[in-house]
Amino acid sequence: MAQQTPVRPLGAAGAMIDEDWEALRFRVHRSAYRDPEVFRTEVDRIWNHTWLYLGHETEIPKAGDFKTRTLGGRPLIFCRDADGQVRAFFNACTHRGTVLCRHSEGNTKFFQCFYHAWAFSNSGELAALPGDDAYPDDPAFRASMALRQVPRLQIHEGFVFVAFDPDVPDLLTHLGPAAHYMSLTAKIGEHGMTTLPGVQLYSVKGNWKLAVENAMDGYHFAPTHNTFVGYLRETGFAVTDDDQYAYDLGGGHGLLVLTGHNGRIGMVWEPRFGDEEKARTVTKRRELEARLGPELAAEVADASRILFVFPNLLLFDLEALTIRQLEPVAADRTDVRAWQFVEVGEPESVRALRIKTMVSFVGPGGLATPDDIEAYEAVQRGITATADAVDPAHDWSDMSRGMANEKQGNQGRSIDEGAMRSFWRRWAEVVGAGTSVAGDPPAGTPAAGPTSGGAGR
Amino acid sequence: MSTTVGSPRGVVKVESREVTRAEVEDFLYREAQLLDEWRLDEWLTLIEPGGRLEVPTTDWAGWDATTAGYFVADDYELIQARVKRLKSRKAHAENPHSRTHRMISNVLLLEAGAETVWISANFLIHRYRDGGAYTYVGRYEHVLKVDPDGLRFRLRRAVPVMESMDPGARLSFIL
Ligand code: FES
Ligand SMILES: [Fe+2]
Repeated sequence: MAQQTPVRPLGAAGAMIDEDWEALRFRVHRSAYRDPEVFRTEVDRIWNHTWLYLGHETEIPKAGDFKTRTLGGRPLIFCRDADGQVRAFFNACTHRGTVLCRHSEGNTKFFQCFYHAWAFSNSGELAALPGDDAYPDDPAFRASMALRQVPRLQIHEGFVFVAFDPDVPDLLTHLGPAAHYMSLTAKIGEHGMTTLPGVQLYSVKGNWKLAVENAMDGYHFAPTHNTFVGYLRETGFAVTDDDQYAYDLGGGHGLLVLTGHNGRIGMVWEPRFGDEEKARTVTKRRELEARLGPELAAEVADASRILFVFPNLLLFDLEALTIRQLEPVAADRTDVRAWQFVEVGEPESVRALRIKTMVSFVGPGGLATPDDIEAYEAVQRGITATADAVDPAHDWSDMSRGMANEKQGNQGRSIDEGAMRSFWRRWAEVVGAGTSVAGDPPAGTPAAGPTSGGAGR
Repeated sequence: MSTTVGSPRGVVKVESREVTRAEVEDFLYREAQLLDEWRLDEWLTLIEPGGRLEVPTTDWAGWDATTAGYFVADDYELIQARVKRLKSRKAHAENPHSRTHRMISNVLLLEAGAETVWISANFLIHRYRDGGAYTYVGRYEHVLKVDPDGLRFRLRRAVPVMESMDPGARLSFIL
């Protein structure tokens, strides 16, 4: 029965994923969240060799705009050069490595290092070199001292991705079907979409994968967000788990499509949005149909979605849209950055409603996200209990919910743990963690995403 | 009657009534006590119906909550929902409650409006939970409605001055 397929076992821990289709069991070894060695392997194999979400083009709208940001532990400058091109540089002086730009954002033609005053243009050339008579009189020398660009940078619908490995496949290949769901969010605004200032920056005492799991986990919604569900009910909106599905988009990307979850500003009205918004929802829907056609309009408008783009981007297309970026800092710490993503040119009253509604749910000050944070911080603390336990069988987390359904080839539900399983399978593949598979997995792979007119309405 | 921002005074006049720094300080100290003791129903009475509760993000450059992302942008209904939530045992992020210890200082009366006074103050809040200690440093920028017999919040805005919310330092309590 047991066709053991141990891939390179990680350290002494042996298999980290235990998948058994006879027993309908899927387990993840808890050292995956704890072990600094696993963390280093992740930074190396995932963050150093995969496309990473850097930021959105609208964060740097004008020539010379820049933001500094850390990805995979590497300080970066994300900027728009004098010609309007989006660029990403390692934020380190080529002379002796000083962090070149020590501001979090701004606008500049030149980045000047304070240490020995080398200056670089915002397209990376070494522009000024004090005392250059002591250096080789050779343009090749200057060229060799240009700012180091991130090896790959590609943009999909304004979402800017970078890779620290020049040999990654094209961005669209990496994104696969996830690209389509990013496009759906980009199509919402008649005049486009933009990120807002007012970025939620916070840090969580938990492993980054717990944040991914939490986002792909519909099972926790009712118990964890009991008080938020209560608030929604009081405002006249009943939450339901029905007709909500999880999709494996391949490549570690995951998607939840939710209908009974919540309303959406401009799309699905609920009483707490008020009457003015009710009328606008009708108008907005007409506008979408005229611009995108009925099918695409329905896809954009009728369902909420949570999209995870492996490994560090989450798009919450819920009451309003939030872009969330994960930055692993240590095995037990994750930095989070979150932007509100809004329609360009929407009326001020709608903008205010959108912000109020969204931040009442998401972020460390919302009525719901703090309970999520509590949950994964509590996991991080709890899983030390069984580390090196007398009985090693205790040191596993269970993610088998819905496996029987999956085995029958049915579409996974958002309240099951299928989206997590597909994430972990991809994770194990990329980090080279040991996986033990027993029994026969389902033959047919489920559809890569909800087909037009299919589930999720 | 209004004074100019930047020339704070120890006393301002709102309509026919004088508001002193001592009165504002007493009000803020009293509020801090209610929050530290988790007496949230009493705390709610300090907010004028229709009042707002705001916490901008740490990159704040003066944007209001209709144009930028915030941490908290509660209208009065949401403040009530927040209090109701925090009183529930199902507010997991605050069950058990954080222990908080607030210090308020540098109270300034900035400007008097027709029926309000704008004040600022510094805050330092220590929060303890799950064996962790967290420090929140920031500034209050409040608009207080001046009633004949007291003060109430029309706008209660806590502006964090940290660069980001530190590990574990979420805003599950009232900042
Ligand atoms: S290290 Fe930057 S100029 Fe010397
Ligand atoms: Fe949640």
